[in-house]
Amino acid sequence: MKKTVAYFAFFASTLTAHAEYRHVDLTVFGMDCAPCAHAIHVSMKGIPGVHTVEVDLNTGLVSVGLNSGSSASIRQFNEAVERNGFTHKDATIVATGKITGTAAAPFFEVSGTEDRFALQPAAAPSDLAKLLGKTVTISGTLPLAPRGKVPDTLRYTSIAEAQ
Amino acid sequence: MKILLLVAGTFVLASIARADDHGPVFGYATPVNSQQEVSCDTGVFGRNGTRGTQLSTGTGCGYGITPHLTFSAFLPAAFGNGSLPESRLMPGGEWTAGASWRFLHSVTSVGKRIESTASLGIVVPGPQQDSGVFARLHREPGVAGWLASGYASRSQYLWFGGGYTSFAARAQDRRPDTISWSGVYGYRPVKLRRGYDQWDYRGFAELTGEHTGNVRSGGALLANSSTSSVWLGPSVLAIFKDVAIEGGAQAPLYRDASESLYGRERVRFALNFSYLRFSAHNTSR
Repeated sequence: MKKTVAYFAFFASTLTAHAEYRHVDLTVFGMDCAPCAHAIHVSMKGIPGVHTVEVDLNTGLVSVGLNSGSSASIRQFNEAVERNGFTHKDATIVATGKITGTAAAPFFEVSGTEDRFALQPAAAPSDLAKLLGKTVTISGTLPLAPRGKVPDTLRYTSIAEAQ
Repeated sequence: MKILLLVAGTFVLASIARADDHGPVFGYATPVNSQQEVSCDTGVFGRNGTRGTQLSTGTGCGYGITPHLTFSAFLPAAFGNGSLPESRLMPGGEWTAGASWRFLHSVTSVGKRIESTASLGIVVPGPQQDSGVFARLHREPGVAGWLASGYASRSQYLWFGGGYTSFAARAQDRRPDTISWSGVYGYRPVKLRRGYDQWDYRGFAELTGEHTGNVRSGGALLANSSTSSVWLGPSVLAIFKDVAIEGGAQAPLYRDASESLYGRERVRFALNFSYLRFSAHNTSR
């Protein structure tokens, strides 16, 4: 419940924000001890724009909060995990960016980065035709990609036009 | 800085068989450094027998080239004279350096991993004179190789490893080849599976064994100079973020060594302090 509220607060705060990642959650595999978690913490904090990093060793959840205006890319988060010898599952994100493509084949581009994802609804699809070309705040899941690769699909759970 | 560390890791010499900063203090383990992580160890390692106590202290450093390849070096200094048998699991006065490659790394669930690490290093006699049987020998460098596999989780640890060290001959003298092995079980109680910003403790039971061949002196094998021993004892590892302290002691379970040559080794002990410096450097956008 706390997490939902936090997400909602984050989501609401981004309605007037710039284009960027605002929050990234990763479930990291292989961390068994405090130095493993500390290594992830240090690596994530080294990414420009990251202001908070929380690591839960028992669930493997790494929760990253970013400043407004950050240009961090999803590849940097992946590398922060991989350089320490770990892997991760899907990433849950909250990000702001532009809807491009067509109504039949929409894409989400996280401005300030080169990240571009094909949009797929996680549940009931939103009417994306009216959002084409607009800046939106979106939350969703990036599925696991092969090592060194960035996923090409974002399964969105909510999407709203940014003011 | 990176080049300096690489040069140090490659050419300076040391005891890299054990991953002191992350695992057991006597036995072989699999952890290697994160990419660009620098780890430094300093500690005291002791062997006590009927002919005295031999202490070794020194500093070792490791540098992670990749998440699976680490260069390490260790420069010890020895104190005391125990006239004890050759050992590659307990540091003596030899400088060693080498590389560890984690060639198997399976991380498919939260908090668990299975991995195997192979290491290769060189062992060079330090400036200090050896004691006992070895004091009379001409000393030459050796090559050491070892392999360790293990399972690590939030609760249980299990590692097995084995190594072989062979020395070159000089003036018809030769230190004995050594086979070393270890099995380590570790456990972290439920109450201690806490957040990473609190002290992290683990307890280990460490079983180690060594067999050394005969010492060659003046072209002849020294009679009864071959030894075998098996050791068992507890150790504890405490870590807080980037510092670790670990200590343990072992007693012999089995010992086959000539008392007239080596005396009777009774106890081994170790106390090690580690500092881990992780890199925040980010390579791409």
